[in-house]
Amino acid sequence: MSSQPSAASGITSARSDHSTLDLKSIEFLRAHLSGFQPRVGIVLGSGLGDLAHQIVPTAIFDFHEIPGFPTTHVSGHAGKLILGDLAGTPVAALQGRCHLYEGWRMEQALVPVQTLIDLDIDLLILSNASGGINPRFRSGQVVLMDSHIDGMFRLQPQLFQSKPNDGILSRNVTLYDRTWIERAQQTAIKLGFALTTGTYWATLGPNYETRSEYRMFRNLGADMVGMSTVPEAKLAFDRNIPVLAFSIVTNVANSDNATVTDHADVLNWSSQAKGQLVPLIESLLSEYFPPSSAS
Amino acid sequence: MLDLYDKIQEACDAIRKRWDRKPHAGIILGTGLGPLVEKINVQETFDYAEIPHFLKSTATSHRGRLVCGELCGVPVVAMEGRFHMYEGYPLKQITLPVRVMNALGASLLLVSNACGGMNPNHRAGDILFIEDHINLMGDNPLIGINDDRLGPRFPDMSAPYDHALIEEGLRVARKNDIRAHQGVFVAVSGPNLETRAEYRFLRLIGADVVGMSTVPEVIVAVHCGMRTVGFSVITDMCLPDALEPADVQKIIAIANQAAPRLATLVTGVLEADVNSRK
Repeated sequence: MSSQPSAASGITSARSDHSTLDLKSIEFLRAHLSGFQPRVGIVLGSGLGDLAHQIVPTAIFDFHEIPGFPTTHVSGHAGKLILGDLAGTPVAALQGRCHLYEGWRMEQALVPVQTLIDLDIDLLILSNASGGINPRFRSGQVVLMDSHIDGMFRLQPQLFQSKPNDGILSRNVTLYDRTWIERAQQTAIKLGFALTTGTYWATLGPNYETRSEYRMFRNLGADMVGMSTVPEAKLAFDRNIPVLAFSIVTNVANSDNATVTDHADVLNWSSQAKGQLVPLIESLLSEYFPPSSAS
Repeated sequence: MLDLYDKIQEACDAIRKRWDRKPHAGIILGTGLGPLVEKINVQETFDYAEIPHFLKSTATSHRGRLVCGELCGVPVVAMEGRFHMYEGYPLKQITLPVRVMNALGASLLLVSNACGGMNPNHRAGDILFIEDHINLMGDNPLIGINDDRLGPRFPDMSAPYDHALIEEGLRVARKNDIRAHQGVFVAVSGPNLETRAEYRFLRLIGADVVGMSTVPEVIVAVHCGMRTVGFSVITDMCLPDALEPADVQKIIAIANQAAPRLATLVTGVLEADVNSRK
């Protein structure tokens, strides 16, 4: 058990200077939070929005209330930043994210996650709903991301700003933090289920994939495919924040037998998986961020 | 941000002023395949410049006009010349004509292209029915806020091409002794042709033919709910271990030779679709 998860995680270098980014959101939040210090940042993807109900809120902001945040303009995708306690741990959670398929530029889409990072969190938990490629997966299963393939074809300008003298991502450590992956797996076993890992292929979307595209992803080594998460994970890695990323496999595709993918099915499978994922995240937080160690 | 809908209406209005019919099908003619237009009983033509929000076609052997008339006894609209990503145009603008065809009433899209063949069982001059595609353009015409009046946010792509009509097309090919196949089309942005290593890669990931168009139009057609048939004319063989320098004149010559056969297949598929909907 560690009260300093980031130091225990294998990523030990000092946090990088990223003063080049203009984040009005941080000033605003610091002014409104009166000392509330989140320790864990959480991005709630498709279907995991319900975890937000478990948070005892200190403050809730709509994205449009926070200066510099991209405004979500699609009904039903209300973006919220929720600050509060989850299983006794102070957290900052983003309910809803800005997807590139909505037409956001990369630097806009990443402002909310950048803000979580700048709130000095010790761990970033990401979640998404993905399409299953690995035939061993079943729909509704929770899989930990231990690697990714970036098929988004987009530059990530933030990665060039943070380390002017050392702007290249290191290959010496894994982007998805090994220590946290093992902790999550151990916790899952205690809760009575096995948590497997997989490689996530990130596409731009918004259409679902063709059968031939699924075959390509599988042949090139991907286990699941989705339209988010990878830019956020890269950003956190660049800023020396350990990343733990959960993918809810919602639709194990059989590329040799065409099946129609419907957004409603995706949401349905996601809500099945939250029965595992919500207790898992709560157990992880209460074990590794006990209230007594709060700063 | 939701101005696409209005643009479609404005383009439709301009067309309807001179040709007020409900087309059964929209047809897109690719590189060197313009001669198919000669089969159409032409009633009206528009230079793209005359239609609001249409782009200028700059590619070699693309004329740049919309032809309205009758083919196989039904009204059709055909694009003689299309737009490409490599011309620097955004995919949303490239695919606007598909939405206009659909808004005019077309529920069927027949789209053709000239492509490079990577399957060694195929030959230059063969025609391939696109059975499925891989989008490697690094972009998507549906990016941006979705206008629910135009289609769903997350369109399904499990069967973008109409398999029943592909079967009909293959039947027409057999009857007319035309070499035709079905296979997987991979779309790249271009404009350079691929390296040998890229051809190996594209073959490895499951593609039979490669081209620089069609996939954006098909994604938008699926978004609109249209039935789609894609015809690829293999204009040169791209076998990485026996690769010859590309010769644009030769490619266009092969496309021109294939044009009558393509016309037979396109009209055959159109007739089958019309008959199945009587």
